[in-house]
Amino acid sequence: MRVLIQMRPSPDLVAAVADPSVPSTTSDVADGLPGVVLDHSYAPVAVPRPMPAAPGGDPLSLNQPLVFSMAPQDASVVVRGEIADDEVASRMALLPAARRDVVAVYADPAIETTLTCAGDPAVGDWHDVERLLCVPDLAAEGLDGSGVPVAVVDTGVNAAYLKAARGQDVAVDQERSWSPQSVSGTPGDFPVDHGTMCAFDALIAAPKASILDVPVLLTRRRGGSTLDGLLSDAIAAYAHLREVLDAQPAESRALVVTNSWGSFSPRWDFPPGSPGNYSDNPAHPFNLIVGSLAEAGADILFAAGNCGRQCPDGRCAYPDRPIVGANSHPRVLSIGGVDTTGTRVGYSSQGPGRLAGRKPDLCAYTHFAGSGALGDDEPDSGTSAACPVAAGLVAAVRSRWPSTVLSTAQLRTLLRRTADDRSAVGYDYDYGYGVVDAAGVIAALRRRAAKAA
Amino acid sequence: MADVLITVRLPAPATLEAAMRRLGLAEDEVDAAYGLVPVDPARDLYVLRVTEDAGRRVGGGADGGPFSDPPIEPYGPPR
Repeated sequence: MRVLIQMRPSPDLVAAVADPSVPSTTSDVADGLPGVVLDHSYAPVAVPRPMPAAPGGDPLSLNQPLVFSMAPQDASVVVRGEIADDEVASRMALLPAARRDVVAVYADPAIETTLTCAGDPAVGDWHDVERLLCVPDLAAEGLDGSGVPVAVVDTGVNAAYLKAARGQDVAVDQERSWSPQSVSGTPGDFPVDHGTMCAFDALIAAPKASILDVPVLLTRRRGGSTLDGLLSDAIAAYAHLREVLDAQPAESRALVVTNSWGSFSPRWDFPPGSPGNYSDNPAHPFNLIVGSLAEAGADILFAAGNCGRQCPDGRCAYPDRPIVGANSHPRVLSIGGVDTTGTRVGYSSQGPGRLAGRKPDLCAYTHFAGSGALGDDEPDSGTSAACPVAAGLVAAVRSRWPSTVLSTAQLRTLLRRTADDRSAVGYDYDYGYGVVDAAGVIAALRRRAAKAA
Repeated sequence: MADVLITVRLPAPATLEAAMRRLGLAEDEVDAAYGLVPVDPARDLYVLRVTEDAGRRVGGGADGGPFSDPPIEPYGPPR
């Protein structure tokens, strides 16, 4: 979190900062503030002290006639810095107590152009995403998704539509696909909808991956909307995916699972703290099976959700910390969304997560003209699109790096370390560790291969 | 209506019937179509879907539950 730190150094120093003819730096005023990465590019600024205009006025009130004193014994100085998101509360409380020259610490909110929100037109198209993900460079390294199954756990996939939209063949692995018992239909032949968008976006970086169609969001429940399911369906789907994974030979073991869904509301859940709760409880059966599948060698990615503070989806009903349940599982990658300019979209959910604090992990591209699966002029949007975009990059890596060679934990770490960091402190709750960086991934894999040779 | 989940530990090869016997569940309390689903083979852990009343009755013992079975929805497009 970016912060402004109001300080009261010696009057000589205040006078120097206030004098435009005297160059002064942040180091002159503040150095070694614990837990603060100071921004040395920001010249310290002298701030006058408000004082009652009339003798006998209340020295603490701003609701009276005031004069502003720049006298060195009155004025203060402001410097700028950044505090790690997960230390903000403690640092803001402790700094004024630990350092007598620190008067107060304030948030320094970014003054941004309006962020991309629901209903806004697309920002770029899927060829821009291809370019940003360095797809030709990935292909040149043999990282194109060949032989890698990508399970799209969603509303079903339409292969004919994908083939027409992409202009090339798309492989849907019917034999290893799976549907809940209440869902009728053939894998790869479901109506064009959200799941088809997700498959399209996964194929951007991994055009030769095999799609496993897992339409758990097509189940119907009493009183439900047209596209939803139950978490128990996802448990059954994951049990099937475990069989798929276990059937693979160790030397080529790879399974990428992309999940652009979640729970919007605590209404149907037991309350946090209850032993049967899902949102905050690592012992819920779905959270257990997610951990178990990841441990067995599957790369699991979840959308962070569309409950960002700037323009949340109207369905968001958690009062805070909207990245819940498996979407915040420590063994998955939780994916936020940025547009093709690299700027976070306003609806992308911010951390901390409920099962693991450091969520989202990463951001990937969304809100671009892509599949057209949601309508001719509808962008591929939501963290729903960002998640499979990142899953495609993971699948591309797996075409040459099976999980028996590069473990799921190692790959998660590699993606975090190579991400394009969007803050000065390495991690923040808006972007996580940063935006996925395919060029950085390629370079890291080359170094790893050279070391192993 | 089967609307909660309970977990049970059973040695392989586990069956729904074995789970029902172990937990003292009647046929009309269990979602047989859902069946007995393995959660973690290494721990012999399985899950089944049961009515809320049955979940309250058999959960909380040596096995786990009742756990919520909330609806899940696509995260897009944002509305």
